[in-house]
Amino acid sequence: MNKQTIGFAGLSHLGIIYSAASAARGFSVVAFDPRTDLTADLAHGRFPVAEPGLDDLYREHSARLTYTSDASRLAHCQLVFVALDVTTNDSNQSDLGPLEKLLAEVTPQLAHGATLVIMSQLPPGYSRKLSAKLADNKLRDNQLFYQVETLVFGNAVDRAVHPERIIIGSDKVGADKVGSDKTGSDKPGEALPAHYAAYLKAFECPTVLMRYESAELCKIAINCFLVSSIATSNTLAEVCERIGADWREIVPALRLDQRIGTKAYLTPGLGIAGGNLERDLVTVQRLAEENGCDASVVTAWQRNSMYRKDWVLGRLFASGLLQNTEQTRIGVWGLAYKQDTHSTKNSPSLALLRALNAYSCQAYDPVAKIDAGQFPHVRVCDAAEEAAQDSDVLLVMTPWREFASAPLERLLPRMRGRKVIDPYGVLAEARCRQLGYQYERLGA
Amino acid sequence: MLQHHRSPHSPLPRTVILGAGGFLSPVLQRNLQAHGATMMALGRSTIDLTKPGASAELAAHIQPDDAVVMAAGLTPDKGKDTATLMANLRMAEAVALALQHSRPAHFLYISSDAVYDARWSSLLNEESACEPSDLYALMHVAREKILGQACQQARIPFAIVRPCAIYGPGDTHNSYGPNRFLRSALNSRTIALFGAGQERRHHVFVDDVAELVRQCIGHASTGVINAVTGHAASFGEVAEMIAALAADNIMIDHLPQSAPVTHRHFDTRALALAFPSLQATELADGLRQSYAALQPASGLAALSSASPASQKPATKKEEAVCP
Repeated sequence: MNKQTIGFAGLSHLGIIYSAASAARGFSVVAFDPRTDLTADLAHGRFPVAEPGLDDLYREHSARLTYTSDASRLAHCQLVFVALDVTTNDSNQSDLGPLEKLLAEVTPQLAHGATLVIMSQLPPGYSRKLSAKLADNKLRDNQLFYQVETLVFGNAVDRAVHPERIIIGSDKVGADKVGSDKTGSDKPGEALPAHYAAYLKAFECPTVLMRYESAELCKIAINCFLVSSIATSNTLAEVCERIGADWREIVPALRLDQRIGTKAYLTPGLGIAGGNLERDLVTVQRLAEENGCDASVVTAWQRNSMYRKDWVLGRLFASGLLQNTEQTRIGVWGLAYKQDTHSTKNSPSLALLRALNAYSCQAYDPVAKIDAGQFPHVRVCDAAEEAAQDSDVLLVMTPWREFASAPLERLLPRMRGRKVIDPYGVLAEARCRQLGYQYERLGA
Repeated sequence: MLQHHRSPHSPLPRTVILGAGGFLSPVLQRNLQAHGATMMALGRSTIDLTKPGASAELAAHIQPDDAVVMAAGLTPDKGKDTATLMANLRMAEAVALALQHSRPAHFLYISSDAVYDARWSSLLNEESACEPSDLYALMHVAREKILGQACQQARIPFAIVRPCAIYGPGDTHNSYGPNRFLRSALNSRTIALFGAGQERRHHVFVDDVAELVRQCIGHASTGVINAVTGHAASFGEVAEMIAALAADNIMIDHLPQSAPVTHRHFDTRALALAFPSLQATELADGLRQSYAALQPASGLAALSSASPASQKPATKKEEAVCP
């Protein structure tokens, strides 16, 4: 077990996951958030976020986890992470206000020589400004680092406990020290304080050290590459739909191409959602505009995303099912923007439900909730079966595993109509067709 | 993208239609009448919008609660030159002045998909850049701006409908497409295609455009919407469908392809978001109705032998006041 006590501040999804992952790696953790009701819930293992494996992680390592709303408890930590998720507005622009408020609360508590590591999603340039600000505030003895978070909603626990690499931004690195530590040795660690290097070593993965601006842009670069794969897959999947090809048949061949890779984002979807990818695209556009770069490809990605988000609406519109506003009943499975998460940020399902506000809809999601006031035409159901009952069409808007194993022979006959639109191909297509249902999915 | 500003359950306002002698007007009148609306359709014989004093005359006809639909204009078959462009702009100027004076409750301009240049996009939508490639397209872009500015200054809710190639019974034009194919099939048993007729277009049935306009009036919609179908058919497919409608053998002639093959595909998302219950008439159904209307017994057969320049709309009335 590691004897070092690690501090965490800001207990949104990011802070909750990384504080628990640090405990799992053997560190004692003091996790601070000013919201007393939140820390009380966390202390009892009640999490405001849904992540596979989080409950087990907490159960196994809770003895090393202390949740508190007392910021002074951080004064005992030589390594303090600020890990508050930076939220975005409807235009996908970051709201840094809550982070700055948290920093104002945390930094006065830092011990002499303690290291401050920001994990929150920062725009390029922010770390250096913050570093200068800390120096102005007589915190010269406290080094600031930016550690890139690369969590994925629905797979966050595994990625936090077993990262493929850790990317760090620093103002102490020059060109001679920048690089990758592929062996887990402490070569780049020479630029890191000993307690931070020891912490990183516990994660048994390469560390990539770079200057602040590079690290901040590195996170955005990762997301841009993911979006480019998504947009390319969506574009080609649509071509498949029009010419009689099937994208599912093509994907295995692409995965075997090492230049593309086995884990590439090749599954067609309903545009990008969740908030983080969208935010980074907006940031690239801003940087390009300020610095005179061509970012038209980013605009094309955004347009493709908007276009694909309405794929199901387009299918409904073309089918003629929407002609009868009064009598058409629409069953919806899934509200979250993806499986294994509670998040509905920029969710295609919610966008569709907004567009269908003249129709009677009934929706079910295993985890995600919606504000009934914003969706008066939607009846939220307690079970998938209930959402399918008497519907003219069934829409599978989130690829939850629960839907993949749904007993179609029992559920589908409860519908009034015989149309299933399953963009992600969650249900057994052949079985749906055998049972006499018209079936549509992306990419075919 | 359209925004709606009125419940569709509200009674329709009185509608003033400019362009009573055009192709769309009679169909729109029938649609509005069927939905219990009152209307006034004004044609050139009542007010010549190109003449001095037209704006004052027009303003006198418009009441504050009216919706006004402008479907008046000289189409390419009446001329593609600068004089036609300037005449069309004078009409827009007159309407803009009348709007500022009379301040109706809603104004809707019937534009055209010609405002888009499909060379820059394989899928056009309402946000595609307006890049006029000829004087006719330039005319619509300029009119949209002229009328939009007038509405903005007078705070009149303003909508633009941009139909793709409209076809249907009573078509007064003879442009390359369904209407010309139908007439030539009836008259000469031939249909002339450029090349293989590969070029794909959204051929929009006139009743569907009228329904879209009525829905825009009913919702007091503002913004831009394309009147499209969701399916782009090639001219070759249209010709084949028309040939299949005729009992006799129809010869399809293939003329030399004089211009590069271009397609115009449209995204229907904005339409689906604005009016999800709208349903486009299937091309085969629309052609069948158009073909039937041109049969001798239909009373529209005269059109089949008329030269394009002398063609008149199905209804001779240029002004109609319906209850």
